[in-house]
Parts: sequence; C-alpha cells; structure tokens
Amino acid sequence: MLVLGGVLVAGGVIVTQFLGSAVDYYCNVDEIGTRSGCDDDRRLRVQGTVEADSVELDRGTTTFVITFNGAELPVRYEGEPGGIFKECLPVVVHGQIVDGTLEGDRVEVKHSEEYEAANEDRLEPDPRCEPGTV
Amino acid sequence: MSAAIVGAIVEMDDAGFIIGSYVLTFATVGLFAWRTLRRGRRLAEQVPDEEKYWL
Amino acid sequence: MTTTDLDAGTPARTSAPRGTGTRATRVLGIATVVAMAWLVAFGLGFSPADRDQEESVRILYVHVPTIWIAYLAFVVTAISSGCYLFGRKKSLGFDRVAGASAEIGVVFMAVTLIVGALWGRLTWGVFWQWDARLTTTALLFVTYIGYLAVRRLGGSHHQRAKRSAVLGLLAVLEIPLVHWSVRLWRSLHQEATVLRTDGDISMDGLMLFSLFVGVIAFTLLYVWLLLHRSRTMFLEDLIEDRGLDQALAARRAEAEEVRP
Repeated sequence: MLVLGGVLVAGGVIVTQFLGSAVDYYCNVDEIGTRSGCDDDRRLRVQGTVEADSVELDRGTTTFVITFNGAELPVRYEGEPGGIFKECLPVVVHGQIVDGTLEGDRVEVKHSEEYEAANEDRLEPDPRCEPGTV
Repeated sequence: MSAAIVGAIVEMDDAGFIIGSYVLTFATVGLFAWRTLRRGRRLAEQVPDEEKYWL
Repeated sequence: MTTTDLDAGTPARTSAPRGTGTRATRVLGIATVVAMAWLVAFGLGFSPADRDQEESVRILYVHVPTIWIAYLAFVVTAISSGCYLFGRKKSLGFDRVAGASAEIGVVFMAVTLIVGALWGRLTWGVFWQWDARLTTTALLFVTYIGYLAVRRLGGSHHQRAKRSAVLGLLAVLEIPLVHWSVRLWRSLHQEATVLRTDGDISMDGLMLFSLFVGVIAFTLLYVWLLLHRSRTMFLEDLIEDRGLDQALAARRAEAEEVRP
C-alpha cells in the first residue's frame, strides 16, 4: 500500500513535469518573440547550432553564437559547457536574454541519432556548419 | 582479451563513467539473478520433486 | 559474472542442477555469460569511437539493448496477462510469467535509466532533463513499479492475477508513447537510429554489430531470468497454499480438542 502511494505521488510529479517542461521543451533561435511562450522577457530555453569560430573562453566565461534558420543569438555562459560541447553541434541554453545576449546558466548539448567512426584524417570543414543544412 | 585491448580500455577518455556503466549493469542484473537463484533453491527444498513441473 | 554465479550448484559434487535450474537453463546461462563477454569485448574494445561523442558512445551498447528487452518484457507481460484473462482455463501459469517478466523489465529499465544518466552527463553535459523522452520513460518505470506493488496487495492468487492482468494490458500502451515521444515533441534525447520507419540506419558497421551483440546477450539473459523467476513464483504460490492448508488443519484440530 505504501509503495502504491509512493507510485501515485511519483506519477503525479512526473505528469506535472511533463506538462510544465517536456511538452514545450525549447524555442528555436528564430522563434524568439514570435512563437507563443518564447517572449524574450522571460526565462527561456533556446535551441540553436553553435556557429563555427564563435566560441571564446575568457577568464572563466564562455561566449559563443547560436544560429537557427538564419537567426543568430549571442550567448554568455559562466564557466565551460560540459558534455561534448563544440562548434557545429546543436545546443539548448537555459537563461534570460539581457540586452540582446542570452545569459545562460545551463547548456545542454544535443547529439544526433547518427553514429560515425571517429576519423583522425578528416580535413574538410564539418558540413553541419554550412548554412542551410540545419 | 589481450593485454593490449585491456590497456586501451583502461586508458580511454571518461573511462570511469564508461567502465562504470558496464560494471553497474552487470552488478544490477547479477544481483537480481543471484537473489532469484538463491530464493529458488531455498523454496525448492520445501517442495517434493514431483510437483516441480520443470523437472 | 562467472558461470557459477549464473547456474546451480558446485559441479564437482553434483552434475544435476538444483532449485529452479535444469540442464537447459544451465546451457542458456553459459551462453549468456559468453555473449556478455563478447559484449564487453566489442562494446569496450573493438568498436570505434564516435566522431562527436568519442568514447562515450560505448555506453549505447548497454543502454539500448536493456530498454529494448525491457519493452519486450512488458509486451510479454501484456500477452501473458491477456492469455490469463481471456483464456478459458484461467491458468495461473500465465499470471506468473506476466509477473516474472514485469519484474525483469523493471530491473532492466533501472539499468537503462542509470546508464542513460551517465551517458547524458558525458554527451549532453547533464545527468537529467525533463524532456519528452526522459519524462515518459520515468512514467513507464513507475507504472511498472505500481504493477509489481498491485501484485502484492494480497487476496487469492486468482484475485491477484485478475487485478494485475488488467493493469498489465493497460500499462503496455505507454510504450508507443515513450518510443514516439522524440518525434511528437521537441526533446533533448535524439531520435531512433535503428527502430525507425524509414529504414535509413546511420550507424558505422562495427558499432551496429556491437549493438547486435548486446541485444543477443540481454535477450539470452532475459529468457534465463524469466525461466528461473517464474519457477520461483510457482514455488512461492505453492508454499503459500500449503501454509494456508496447514493453518486450516491446525485450527480444525484445535476446535476438535476443545469440543469434548
């Protein structure tokens, strides 16, 4: 009985999380200010691809630009993003937009469902950074 | 497995998380398997063999 | 794991398996151990690192097989529940297979969740995020914990079987929701690589093979566990019935003593 009660409470918490967080998980960069729930005066979770050559680390603060569908957004993050963070990969940044810059406090790196063996000899630029492919 | 492969495994990046995930997996299913077997043996002693449909 | 972990007895003293084991389960147990050794060799050794994820992709070879076999286990629970509920004989054997399968599914799913959190920390940078896939998976997990709790509510074996069979048939409907959650909603979790409708699998050959080894290994383990666990449940039911019979007999004897 006790377990069943715990299960019901846990189920309730999960469904609440689902409706509150999972259904509207993120806004794409180009949807800020246009899609409902993506107004730039509230806390946002923004998805975009890290632009090539935009990542800079200066005294513990990382700055980079994320793009999606032609729109760009500069990001500032205290610290170094974890995971497999690197240029040309899509990320979700949690934070608030201040003066046109997203002040992020959580960076999540998305990875695709495509798996390819690492190749040391790869010289050509990552095709995922080319415009129009994302 | 040869020593070279074992060496490569231990030295890879994030070895703690990766090897840890395998260890956790085997520990969890191993514990469940062991508990099931032990319980089965204890209970089987209280039941005559004719009733065990698998024998 | 060694072979002695997985099957009955010390071979030096007796060659016939004890407890819930048979010759067949012993062979199956040895095959499972061999397949797991292959999984370690291919998953941690021979398979290549990924272009983006590097070494952390190796966690995939336990994360994906365990959740697939957990799904399989819950589908078996549902089918077995249906056989009990709609079969004319109302055989408790089906109920025990359903219960055993759900229990194994929960164990496998726990592994998926723990290992997935570690993989998430390495690739996403976070252990957990309430996105569509993770949230629906958590719901599936607690649903089956609830199923196992319902099985322990008490009553007769047939009451237990009927209650849990209804739940087992309903709970399985969550699986398609979990599987397609990554298409229905925006999520952090990636979409399916192998189980997709367009058949376009983007995966390096050796990686795919390692995943295949993992699926074989966990399938063998599942069947081995299912045989042992459902037999153990049979023994539990039998001994419970015996205990009840003995208690009744004792009470009857007591009553006759009181009556002169």
